[in-house]
Amino acid sequence: MNAMGEGFVHWDPYDPKYFANPYPAFRRLREEAPLYYNEQYDFYAVSRYEDVERGLGDRDTFISGRGGILEIIKQNVPIPPGVFIFEDPPLHTIHRGLLTRIFTPKKMAALEPQIRAFCARALDPLVEGGEFNFIDDLGADMPMRVIGMLLGIPEEDLKDVQHRANESLRTEPGKPQDYSGHSFAGQGFDEYIDWRARNPSDDLMTELLNATFVDEKGETRRLTREEVLIFINILAGAGNETTNRLIGWTGKVLAEHPDQRRQIYENRGLIPQAIEEILRFEPPGPSVGRYVATDTEFQGTTVPKGSALLCLVGAANRDPGKFADGDSFNINRARVPHLTFGYGFHACLGNALARVEGRIALDELLNRFPEWDVDLANAHLSSTSTVRGWETLPAFTPKARRRGRSTPEARREAAEPAAAQAPAGAERWKMTMKTPMGPQEMVMQIVRAGDMFSGRIESPMGSEPINNGKIAGETLTWTMEVKKPTSIKVSFDVKIQGDTLTGHAKLGLFGKAPVIGQRA
Amino acid sequence: MARITYIEFGGREHVVDVVPGLSVMEGARQGLISGIDADCGGGCSCGTCHVYVDPDWQARVGGRNPIEDATIEFAENVLPNSRLACQITVTEALDGLVVRIPETLR
Ligand code: FES
Repeated sequence: MNAMGEGFVHWDPYDPKYFANPYPAFRRLREEAPLYYNEQYDFYAVSRYEDVERGLGDRDTFISGRGGILEIIKQNVPIPPGVFIFEDPPLHTIHRGLLTRIFTPKKMAALEPQIRAFCARALDPLVEGGEFNFIDDLGADMPMRVIGMLLGIPEEDLKDVQHRANESLRTEPGKPQDYSGHSFAGQGFDEYIDWRARNPSDDLMTELLNATFVDEKGETRRLTREEVLIFINILAGAGNETTNRLIGWTGKVLAEHPDQRRQIYENRGLIPQAIEEILRFEPPGPSVGRYVATDTEFQGTTVPKGSALLCLVGAANRDPGKFADGDSFNINRARVPHLTFGYGFHACLGNALARVEGRIALDELLNRFPEWDVDLANAHLSSTSTVRGWETLPAFTPKARRRGRSTPEARREAAEPAAAQAPAGAERWKMTMKTPMGPQEMVMQIVRAGDMFSGRIESPMGSEPINNGKIAGETLTWTMEVKKPTSIKVSFDVKIQGDTLTGHAKLGLFGKAPVIGQRA
Repeated sequence: MARITYIEFGGREHVVDVVPGLSVMEGARQGLISGIDADCGGGCSCGTCHVYVDPDWQARVGGRNPIEDATIEFAENVLPNSRLACQITVTEALDGLVVRIPETLR
């Protein structure tokens, strides 16, 4: 019945054996251990609908101020004010209220023409060939453009960011380049904030800069520049990452349910309920963490104050007590609220935007590709304690299959240029950075030159050059400019001993993240 | 059964007999009333089931709960008699209730 083999139910968010299909484990948790304790990582997990709903909804017992991600709660990472997703009242109420008014369903629905245009631009060139990638072509593109548009970053500058990234690809090994000081991307959005403050327009950044509110001390004021910057970084990150995953799951799940896809193709009025069912069936964020502020009880057992609690949304969304035959995908099922966007005061602010983007993406996909198959052999699924979804998901139409598709070898070569062109003397390191958005896997390739080094880091966020690479004994320091999901400058400081690497990375305003690595 | 009158933004009236225990939002869905999208399906997290409770009924229906207060900020033109229809449970005592639907999104 399950892949675990032993008598005791076990689940852990880091174990790859649960990535592809966590649902048998979720079912066992619901049935056998509705309050589960994981000794290895010292956390509790709840999996039944009513327990997850309570964990998410009772904001006084289960607080967010210590982070919503297991690693952050456990490591007690300090969280700067303004990181509203990890705040408690009164600050959270104030910050959230400000943003709620900006993300109303009405304002999001008004974006429809632009969202359709972004989809058309991404998908039109692919119709002829019949091969496309749900993530590379659409999921990683459209939501980023929508957020860029909402924030008021001109289209030319979005391109400029991409252009700089391409430009830096030509950095020669052995010659570290210094981008600090003059790169817009490296400064995140802050140059834009100053520019917008002087040139107000009809966008979110202007709205945030001008919004007045009563703060926790009772003073009427505007957001500080730093608060606006943090807001925007979070919105940009959240707005990209999760909708991207929703688009990936749409591709995967509908490829596996062609009869239901045909129903939707023929009756587009079914799209909203289809998107809700995809959100229920494969939530991009399968678990949400909370810090237990006072002793409390689940299923007759006390959970002590100070514990970390994971609310397993992915398990609750299939609880048979709430969803008949919850493990089956059925766009026509009776509507019961899923918990994918959370519940209560911390429910996802961007839910209206995600829904509009998901619905339009599906409609525009069906307009061009009524049928598709996914190429799972060349797809890649990643799973962290917060986000689970496709990093890349190639697909092809029946027509393309008949014509004969490109060979797997050719595609693999195209996908891994870095490995193919490793220069002599290169070192490769597999690293994990434990960021506030979940652990981030990356591969670093460097070449040493005296007390300097250069190279690149490949990660799901893209491929970025290493800047300012310096060597002092066992210690290596460098900076890197990440552009996706949000522009941020990351400063690394690590120690290399033999084949292991340990240290930390400073993530702009988000504080420090531990980094560990192994020679690859 | 409780008889509920839903008045669309344009003024069209629909009368629906709703089984007690359902929400005013679910009653609208069963009666195929348009203008209540209820995107989240009644989870009090989307704000798209906004209605105005007829002033005569406000006292009997009661005010907003705290989560509803946070979520209703997603809605436009919120008035003191605004409620999220998914948060009003229909009872026999609400037989005759009148709610108005705000201008719709689409
Ligand atoms: S249906 Fe979403 S808030 Fe009522």
